[in-house]
Amino acid sequence: MRDMIKMLLVLTILATLSGWVLAAIRDNTKDRIENQVLEFVKGPAIRSILEEATNDPIVDRFQLKDGDMERTFFVGVMDGAPRAVTFETSGKGYGGDVGLMVGIDVTDNQIMGVGVTTHGETPGMGAKAKTDPSFVAQFRELPLKGPVKVTGDGGSINAISGATITSRAVCSATNDALQIYEKLKPQLTEKLKEFNK
Amino acid sequence: MARSIVQEFTKGLWDEVPPFRLVLGLCPVLAVTKSVENGIGMGVATTFVLVCSNVLVSMLRKVIPAKVRIACFIIIIATFVTVVELVMQAFAYPLFLKLGIFIPLIVVNCIVLGRSEAFASKNGMFRSLLDGLGIGIGFTLSLSALAAVRELLGTGDLTIWEKPIQVFGPSYQPFSFMVEAPGAFVALGLMLCLMNLVGKK
Amino acid sequence: MGDLIVLAISCILINNILLAQFLGNCPFLGTSKKMETAVGMAMAVVFVLVMAGVITWVTNTYFLQKLGLEYLRTVAFILVIASLVQFVEMFLKKSIPALYAGLGIFLPLITTNCAVMGVCLININEEYNFLQALVASFSYAVGFGLALILFAGVRERILLARVPRPLQDTAIALVTAGILSLTFMAFKGMV
Repeated sequence: MRDMIKMLLVLTILATLSGWVLAAIRDNTKDRIENQVLEFVKGPAIRSILEEATNDPIVDRFQLKDGDMERTFFVGVMDGAPRAVTFETSGKGYGGDVGLMVGIDVTDNQIMGVGVTTHGETPGMGAKAKTDPSFVAQFRELPLKGPVKVTGDGGSINAISGATITSRAVCSATNDALQIYEKLKPQLTEKLKEFNK
Repeated sequence: MARSIVQEFTKGLWDEVPPFRLVLGLCPVLAVTKSVENGIGMGVATTFVLVCSNVLVSMLRKVIPAKVRIACFIIIIATFVTVVELVMQAFAYPLFLKLGIFIPLIVVNCIVLGRSEAFASKNGMFRSLLDGLGIGIGFTLSLSALAAVRELLGTGDLTIWEKPIQVFGPSYQPFSFMVEAPGAFVALGLMLCLMNLVGKK
Repeated sequence: MGDLIVLAISCILINNILLAQFLGNCPFLGTSKKMETAVGMAMAVVFVLVMAGVITWVTNTYFLQKLGLEYLRTVAFILVIASLVQFVEMFLKKSIPALYAGLGIFLPLITTNCAVMGVCLININEEYNFLQALVASFSYAVGFGLALILFAGVRERILLARVPRPLQDTAIALVTAGILSLTFMAFKGMV
């Protein structure tokens, strides 16, 4: 019986200590981890879209409610005024969801650029959506009216050869983004004013 | 046979070097040795867990009841693994992405649990520290050596601190078999064979 | 339904857990010397992996995620797996002694089999739903068994061959595993 109590006692103390230590470390690293994830997963796409931004879009971010979902928006400041917002949407690709960062130029009312963040597409085929800049370059300066389509579906985007599904996924993610922008435009404009310097 | 303190440390570097002498913990060895950088990162992470858990297990060895010792070891090891996971995410995120699930899997690496059970639970703190350090460094060196062979033959480059160095020059045709899955098995098998040849008494 | 079949095939053959993902290699080399032990280990893994996959999925979805404790995942999973294995062992011993006689000695080894923990983590990382997690766990386990049993067959033949001394035992086994892995690579691009 005493053995039993000792066993339970030791296990409980160990488990409590472990939980306590981990919670402490977690609290201290939480913000850093969040920043690192943004920097390395979404960062490259955001920075390539907002090349000319004079601020750090990853620091200048805010969240808005879209239905029951929280979306994060990254602001690009150019010439001292907030010029663009980027946010992430996704489309169904060949190997799961394709995450897409879409940048919208709020001054000229056009797409500033798009960039793939996460994907599970085939290397050398669908993965080119991320690695080959000429594909996503086609989305630059498209009007916000949409819908964006590949040439095969009657649109203007040349699909990546051998990866029509991936190309369609990028288009549909872009269209989602355009709709979300339309819907949230009032709140977004309000929020963006805060970045006027 | 009692070993001197120095031997406690050096045995991990040659006599009992994992994964060659102790054929344990093969999964990360095969999976992360595509590039030297990954190999070193994995080795350092494993060494940290190994040293910390060895020291703690040895400190607590008189308190832990024999019947639940494995459960206790697992809690201790899992805690340190999570520490590594969090710290790596915060400070070396690209490496964390490359090593993927093999960081949390250090918890089931037989080397770590094996050292706790076979060594730390029977020896003093200082010796356990040296044992963990020796085995850990030996493991890191083995990983780096295997990774160097695979990366060099497979791509012709060696990547150190994210900068690829072309060793064989641009005209080298990469033997990409070596960086694919089967190459890992074959390379490890041949290196083991080499170790046997050199180490034969 | 079609999606699930594709998932199953890719888990068994294309992303074979032993030969393509390198999980569970310690028992792969340790228990493949004899056909009999290989079959025993394969069965034990199927048995435990399916249960572990389901239970860890439920733990993660209804417990860790609800409470925002995802960072405790590693600790929670290993404890769940370790206690599951203990429990299965006790249960089999009491209720189905025949099965225990066959699987018994392999069960304790499974706690530190990274294939089990690995699949549980993959299920979470890939954000599978319950059904997908169930199918994936089962298929990975079947893939494990398939590779292990095939490999044991080859290894029994190697015993009869004359192998150069430095290559004997583990070294030749690894090279053979490499060749087996090469054949499994042929399944790539099937789905």
